[in-house]
Amino acid sequence: MSQVLKKDAKPKGRGRKILSVILFVLSGILLVAAVCGYYLQGTEQTRASLSAMRTQAVLHTASDGLLDAIASQARSEKLKELRARKDFRTLGLDEVNNTCDSAAAEARAAAEALYSNPRVADSAGLETAVVGLENALSEYGTLRNAEREAYSGIYVSLVENVPDWTDLADAAGEDDSALFASLSAWSEELSSEAYAHLQPGIVRLARDMADKERAREDEELLTQLTSAMTGAVSDWSEYAGVEDEALWAGLSEQVDGLAENERFRDRLLQAAKERISAAESGETVAEAVADEGAATVYDTVTDYSYFTATEALNTASAASEAAFEGLWSELTEIIPDLSELDNKMRNSIRTTLENTVWAGSNDFTARYNAYAARQGGTALSGSTALAMQLAASAQNILIAGIALLLLAALLMFWTRLTGSFGVPRTIITLFFIYLCLAAVFYHISVPMMLSNVLIRMGMYGILVLAMMPGIQCGIGLNMGMTIGCIAGLLGIVLSLQFDMAGWGGLLFACASGAVVALPLGWAYSKLLNRMKGSEMTISTYVGFSFVALMCIGWMMLPFNNPKIIWLLSGHGLRVTHSLLGSYAHLLDNFLSFDILGVEVPTGLLLFLLLGCLLMWLFSRSRTGIAMTAVGSNPRFAEASGISVNRMRTIGTVLSTVIAAVGIVIYSQAFGYAQLYTAPRQLGFIASSAILIGGATVRKAKVSHVLFGVFLFEGVLVLGQQIANSAVAGGGLSEVMRIMISNGIILYALTQTGGGSRD
Amino acid sequence: MTNQNKVLNHIKTYAVTYLFIALSVFFIIVSGLDMNYVASQLLLRLNRNAFIVLALIIPIVAGMGINFAITIGAMAAQIGLLLTISWGVTGITGILLAAGITLPLATLFGFLIGKLLNRMKGQETIGSLILGYFANGAYQLLFLFIFGNFIPLSDKVTIVGATGVQNTLNLTGSVGLYKALDGVLQVSFSLVVYILAGAAVLLALLQFFRKNLTGKKFAAILILAAVLVGLLQIPAIADVFSGAGGRQLIRVPVVTWLLIGCLCVFNLLIMRTRLGQKFRAVGQSQTVANAAGINVDRTRVIAIMLSTVLAGWGQIVFMQSDGIGTFQTYAAHEQVGLYAGAAILVGGASIDRATNLQALIGTFLFHSLFITAQSAASNLFGDSAVGEYFRAFLSYGVIAIALVIYAWRGAKKRKSSVDLTQATKE
Repeated sequence: MSQVLKKDAKPKGRGRKILSVILFVLSGILLVAAVCGYYLQGTEQTRASLSAMRTQAVLHTASDGLLDAIASQARSEKLKELRARKDFRTLGLDEVNNTCDSAAAEARAAAEALYSNPRVADSAGLETAVVGLENALSEYGTLRNAEREAYSGIYVSLVENVPDWTDLADAAGEDDSALFASLSAWSEELSSEAYAHLQPGIVRLARDMADKERAREDEELLTQLTSAMTGAVSDWSEYAGVEDEALWAGLSEQVDGLAENERFRDRLLQAAKERISAAESGETVAEAVADEGAATVYDTVTDYSYFTATEALNTASAASEAAFEGLWSELTEIIPDLSELDNKMRNSIRTTLENTVWAGSNDFTARYNAYAARQGGTALSGSTALAMQLAASAQNILIAGIALLLLAALLMFWTRLTGSFGVPRTIITLFFIYLCLAAVFYHISVPMMLSNVLIRMGMYGILVLAMMPGIQCGIGLNMGMTIGCIAGLLGIVLSLQFDMAGWGGLLFACASGAVVALPLGWAYSKLLNRMKGSEMTISTYVGFSFVALMCIGWMMLPFNNPKIIWLLSGHGLRVTHSLLGSYAHLLDNFLSFDILGVEVPTGLLLFLLLGCLLMWLFSRSRTGIAMTAVGSNPRFAEASGISVNRMRTIGTVLSTVIAAVGIVIYSQAFGYAQLYTAPRQLGFIASSAILIGGATVRKAKVSHVLFGVFLFEGVLVLGQQIANSAVAGGGLSEVMRIMISNGIILYALTQTGGGSRD
Repeated sequence: MTNQNKVLNHIKTYAVTYLFIALSVFFIIVSGLDMNYVASQLLLRLNRNAFIVLALIIPIVAGMGINFAITIGAMAAQIGLLLTISWGVTGITGILLAAGITLPLATLFGFLIGKLLNRMKGQETIGSLILGYFANGAYQLLFLFIFGNFIPLSDKVTIVGATGVQNTLNLTGSVGLYKALDGVLQVSFSLVVYILAGAAVLLALLQFFRKNLTGKKFAAILILAAVLVGLLQIPAIADVFSGAGGRQLIRVPVVTWLLIGCLCVFNLLIMRTRLGQKFRAVGQSQTVANAAGINVDRTRVIAIMLSTVLAGWGQIVFMQSDGIGTFQTYAAHEQVGLYAGAAILVGGASIDRATNLQALIGTFLFHSLFITAQSAASNLFGDSAVGEYFRAFLSYGVIAIALVIYAWRGAKKRKSSVDLTQATKE
C-alpha cells in the first residue's frame, strides 16, 4: 500500500511543480504589465491623451444629448399626429409604440449625419471652459463630500444611540430648538456652532423617527393582539355571520386588552373575519412565525434627505453653475443648435456632462472609464489607445497577478505549507490575503474594514476562547457552550429587569451570568463524563434542546419590567433587547481611539487580551497542565494518576462560564441581546473560528483563538463587502459563511474519525 | 429471563414511546380539538412524512446512526421538482420526471456522503448533521447564482430582473403537481379498515391451515380485526371518520399509501438479501464484518446511497401531498432530517436499531403531538407560542435523549468488558 502511494506521489508532485512554475511566469508577466501601466499613468503623454479624451467625451455628450432631444421630439410629434387621427383609439399599444419609435429612429439618423462629428473650430476655448468646470466641480464636490460625511457621522451616531425617539419628541413638544438641543446629548457635534445650519433637517429627522417608532410599536401590539385573539378563540365558525359590533364585543370579552385598543378595531376585525371564513371552509390561517436568524452586524445607512447645506456649499454650487454656463456657451458655439433645447433637456445633458467632466475623484482609472463611457476614446489613435487601456487597467492586472502569484506559491510550497499550517488554514489564509488585495481594487475603505474586523474580533473573541478549555480537557468542540450563552443572556435580562445601566450593569450581567453558568456547567459536565467518545454529538443536541427548552423558559419566567416583556400579554420576554439605554458599546468605547482612520475598540480588545492572558496562565498552572494532558492523551493521564473526570469537569465548567461572559461582551458590542433561538448556532461559529486558527479537536492554544477569530471575521467582513460589490444582491456572503464555517468543522471531524468504532 | 424481567426490559426500551403515548393522549384531551380534525390531520401528516422516516431505517441498521444527511436527498428532490416545474411537465408524468431526476443526483450525493462519513466513523450523526448544513450552503449557491445564470430556467420559476430562483414555488394550478399522487384514488377510511381487516384475516387463515401460524396468534389476529371493525360500528367513533355533522369525510390517498407500503416491503426484503445481511453484520460490528470478508466501507456507502435516494423520493411525496401546495425554495429541506429523526426515535427506534413499525408508530405519535401542541399550550398557558417552542423542544429533546441513552449503554458495555478483561487477568 505504501509503495503504491509513493509511486503515485512522485509524478503528482512533479506536475504540481511544473504547473506552479507556469503560474509564476504568468504572474510575472502580469506584474510587469501592471508596473508598465502604473508608469504610463504618470507620463506627460498620457496626461495629454487623457485631456484630449475628456474634450472629445464632452463634445460627444453634448451632441448625443442633442440627438436624444431631437429623437424624443420627433417621437412626441408623431404621437401628437397619431392622437389627432380619428381611429386613434382602435390602434393597439404596440402599434402606436412601433410607429413612434420608427419616427424617432428616422429623425435620429438624419440628425446623426449632421451632428455626430462636431467640428471644433477653437479647441482652446473649449478646453479652458472644461478645466474651469472641473475645478469648480471638484471644489464643490470635495466640500459637499466633507459636509455629507460630517452629516453622516451625526446621523449614524443619532440613529444608533438615541434610545427613545418618542420620548424626545414628546418632551420637546413643538419647540424645535429644544429638540435640537436635547439631541446633542447623543451626538456631541450637534452642540457646536458649525452644525447649527443642520437644525431644520435634524428636527424633521427626529420627528419622523418618533413617528416610525410609534408605528412600529403599534405594529408589534397589533401582531400580539392578533395572535392572542387566534389563541383565545377555539372555534371561529361560531362567529360566522355576526355583525361587526357584536363580533368586536364578543372578542373583547375573550381577549385581554382588546377593548383598550379601539384604534386597531378595523384591522383586528379584518383578521377575525379571515379566520372565520377560513374556519368555515375547514382551513386554518397560517400564522406568521418570525424566526430570528443568526445575528448580523447592521451598518446604519445614512439617509441624506434630512441634509441641509451650509452657505459655503451653496456658494460653491453657484460657482459650478457659472462654470457650466461658460462651458455651455462654448459648446453652443461649436454646435449652434444646442441653444434651441428646452430647459428640461438641457438639465439632463448637464448631469451627464458634469459626471463626465469630474468623475468624483482624480483616480486615473475612474477618469479613464468615465471618458471612455462617453466615447472619448475616439480621440486616440491605435497605439496610444492601447497604452491608455493598459494604464487604466493596471490595477486589475496587478490584482490578477497577485492572485496567480499566491496560487503559484501555494502549489510550489504545498507540502511545506500544509504540513505546518494544515490544508484548510493554508487555503483560508491565502484567501484572506487575496481578499485584502481585492479590497483595494474594489475601492473598499481598508481602515473601515479593519475597524469592523477589530470590533467583531472583540465581539466573538471571548466566545471563541470558551472553546479552548473544552478542547483542552478532552470533550472536544463544546457545541453545548450555548448553555453558557443562555446563562449569560439570563444575566443580561436580569440586569435589564433591575434597570441597571453603565459599568455596574455590565459587571452584574457578567457576574450573574457566570454564577448561573456554574451549576449548569457542572451538571452538563457530569453528563458528558458518562458519554466519553461521542461528546460532540451529545453536546450539539443537548445544546439545541436547552435552547428550545429556554424558549419556553423565556416565555414563562416571572420578569415584570415593562421594558423587557411583551407589551400586551404582560408576561414573557421579548426577542430582542436593546442595550442602547444601558451598556451598549461601553467596552468598545472605553479608551477607544482613531489611528489612520481605524477605530480601535481598546476596551473590547483589552478585555479579550486579558481573557487570553488569564487562560494562558491557567494552562501553565498545575491544573491546566493536567487538563491538557487529559485532552491530548486520556489513557496516559489516567496512568499518571490524574483524575480524568475531575479535569473534564473543570474544563467543561470553565468553558460554560467563559461562554456566559462571552455572550454578555458579544451583546454589548452588538448593541442588542437576542433571546429565544438566536444563540443556537453560536457553538458552530466559535468552533469554526478556533479550528481556522489552527486548533484540532484535541489541542488548542491561546494563539489559535486570536489568530482564528481574526482570520474568520476578517474573511467574513471582507468577503461580505467584496461579494456585495461584485455580485448584485446579497446572499453570496451568507453562502460563503455557511460553507466556510461548516466545511472547517467537517474537515476537523474527518481528522479524528476513520478508526473503527469497536 | 423471567416474565417480570421481560416486561421491565420492554418498558425500559420503549420508555420514550410510552412517554409519548401518554403525552399525546394528554395533549389531545387538553387541546380540546375536534377528533375529526385531529384524525384528518394525523392521516394527512402520516401520509406526507412516513416515506421519509422509513428512509432512515437502512443506515441505522448498517450502524451509521440517524442519517441527518437525508436533507441532501431532499435537496436533490427539490432540484428535480424545480426542473419539472420549469419545463412545465404536469401530473403523474411530472412526478415521475422529478423522481427520475432525483435518482441519479441523490445517488451521486449519497456516494459522496458515504465516502465522507467513512472518514469520520463513530461521529456519523454529527457528521451528517453538519454535512447537511454545509450542503445547504452549496444549495443556496446553486439556487441563487447558478440556476438562471448558467443553467437556463423558464420565467415561471426565476425572479425577473434579479438573479436566482423565486422564494416560493407553487405546485398548484397550472403547474399541476399538487396532489398528483394523492389525488389519483381516494377511498374513505372505514373502507380501508374493512379491506385491511379482511385481507389480514384471509392471510392468517391461509397461514393457519399451512400450519405456519400458531392457534394463539391466529386467534389474536382474528380478535384484532374484529375489534377494529367493531369499533367502527360505534356511532361516536364512526362519526370521527365519516362526514356526519358537517365534518370532513376522512379519505385515504391510496397511491401514496401503496408507495409507503412498498417501501416497508422493500425494507423487509432487502434485509433478507445478501446485501441486507452485510448491512446487519457491519452494523453489529465492523471488526467482525471485516474479518468475515465484508467490504465495510463499501457496504456503508451503499446504505447511505439507498437512504439518500429514498429520502429524495420521500420529499417528492411530501411536496405533492394534500395541504402543502407551495414550497419554500430555500428552506423546505432544512427541517427534514430533524423531524424524521425525532419521529423514528419516538417510535422506539434507537441509534442502532429500527424497524418499519417503529418508524410508522413514531411518525404517528410525533405528529399527533405536533398537531395538538399549539392548542394544548394555549389552553394550558394561555399562549400558543409556548406550544410552538414545545414542539421544537420535543424534536431536539427526543434526539438528545436517544443519543444519551445510546452513549450510556455503549459506555456501560465498554466498562463491563474492561472489567471482564481485568477480572480474567487477575
